[in-house]
Amino acid sequence: MDERQRLFAQVNDLHHTYLRGTPLETVALRGVSMQIRTGEAVGIIGRTGAGKSTLIQHFNGLLRPRQPGRVIIEGQDMSDPTLDVRALRQRVGLVFQRPEQQLFERLVGDDIAFGLKQLGLPADERRARVRWAMELVGLDFDRFRNRFTFSLSGGEMRRVALAGVLALRPRVLILDEATSGIDPRGRRELLTHIAEWRQQSEVTLIIVSTNMDEIAELVERIYVLDDGRVVLCGTPRQLFADPVVLRQYGLKVPQVSALVHRLSELGVTMPRVPITIAEAADDVWTILNS
Amino acid sequence: MDNFEFLRNVTIGQYFAGHSVIHRLDPRAKITLVMMLVIANGFLFSYSGNLILLTICCAAVLTSGISFRFMLSGIKPALPFIAFLAVMQLFFSGRSYRPFGAPLQIYWEWGVLAVSNGSLELVIITFMRFLEIFLLVSLLTGTTTITDLTYAIEDMLRPFQRLGVPAYEISLIGTLALRFVPIFAEQLEIIMKAQAARGADFAGWGPFQFVKITRQLARLIVPLFVDAFRRAEDLILAMEARCYTGGRGRTHLARFRMTRLDRALLAVMAAFVVTLLYFRNQLWF
Repeated sequence: MDERQRLFAQVNDLHHTYLRGTPLETVALRGVSMQIRTGEAVGIIGRTGAGKSTLIQHFNGLLRPRQPGRVIIEGQDMSDPTLDVRALRQRVGLVFQRPEQQLFERLVGDDIAFGLKQLGLPADERRARVRWAMELVGLDFDRFRNRFTFSLSGGEMRRVALAGVLALRPRVLILDEATSGIDPRGRRELLTHIAEWRQQSEVTLIIVSTNMDEIAELVERIYVLDDGRVVLCGTPRQLFADPVVLRQYGLKVPQVSALVHRLSELGVTMPRVPITIAEAADDVWTILNS
Repeated sequence: MDNFEFLRNVTIGQYFAGHSVIHRLDPRAKITLVMMLVIANGFLFSYSGNLILLTICCAAVLTSGISFRFMLSGIKPALPFIAFLAVMQLFFSGRSYRPFGAPLQIYWEWGVLAVSNGSLELVIITFMRFLEIFLLVSLLTGTTTITDLTYAIEDMLRPFQRLGVPAYEISLIGTLALRFVPIFAEQLEIIMKAQAARGADFAGWGPFQFVKITRQLARLIVPLFVDAFRRAEDLILAMEARCYTGGRGRTHLARFRMTRLDRALLAVMAAFVVTLLYFRNQLWF
């Protein structure tokens, strides 16, 4: 396998302007460059309006790059107008923000099966996959299958939207604020399920979030976007080592990392900056025992 | 390549901040001016008459500082429909439409179909009249904030209140309708993107795939309506929460005042339109 194929996405100097050529145009991206390897879990963080959602829509061809920007997805140049984006979108699953605006079928089961129907899968296969996806997001198949989509609560809608994409069994899963609006326990369950599934099937995971606590445990690398540019990049541990820099971009380190920074201000030195509660507990235990 | 940016095509109802003379006109005067021009538009069937109106519209757009290209881009999505109507007019009104100030001359005929100098003129004049109305309405909404527009309409309808015309409610309905056009364009974009992300195909619409197109449109329109109703309910709640009771006894912070320019422009335009309409049959061509 050559170097190119091992990269899921290669983005070079990407610019994007909404409503280009009108008096209302707004610049969303001002020269973003990044690389995402296949199988990697990457977090994209930044305050609202930083360009995160605009960026990820380039990953499945909903938005196309313009000169001089280049986006190469799985070795294919996205500015090529003859590219088969439908095939790409089946491999790259994107869950948008605001799920209550995305459900369009009458029944929950139909909505989740929409993508599978577009693929032309037989009915029993569709059913099996819908059941699998619903279980993955924590919805009971028999109870929710025939519910009206518009009568669901916000958290349930979010799960349905997620299941609709998961049912396609994408090789790349992009979540745009996918867990907001779900209670903390449901969120934890959901993320655990996704992490387990990721380990089994080696999917590439891209999570867009403003919540550092949930992103810290799941991802291997983080890109920080601000005002349409990549301003920081590194592992969670590298980024969370310095709360001052992140604060500059309107972001906070996870609570456990913040705790350790507070402790070090009080004169307690910890062996490392923990990014999960378990790590922090281990460290505190070691120090207390020594 | 599929493009989901619909907002780009919605030019009617979009406000563009500016400081031109047209922006600063009293909104009531602006509405009246537009109404006068629309009336003139309704009675002019000659090239020269419509050229005069079109010149006035273009001059107004230039004064406003809004780019022509952007304004006209709003017509683009409607072009196939306009072209279809034009072809119908060209072939079906060849015998019935009398050209302005010239004898009818049939160039080509076959059965009920006929092309004449009359039908050719009809097509061109119709397009000119459409363009005039389009520019006028875009200009009105483009240079007047929705709030100003509402209050102006309400103000102008007030004399009719004694006859039972619900002035405030009418202006409120108008405002809300205009206000929601860009929101629905955005909502449509979100729904289409959500479907495209799950494998729906919007780029490959062939011209004769009526069944496929209809089916896909239904799948877009139903959630759009559901969203519209939900927004309407939210709006009602928000209005009730802020003790909305209708327009009775309500005062405004900013009151409109006609300036000398407004009055002068109204007088000149009224005189001009009356003259134009009076002599509309004596125009050159």
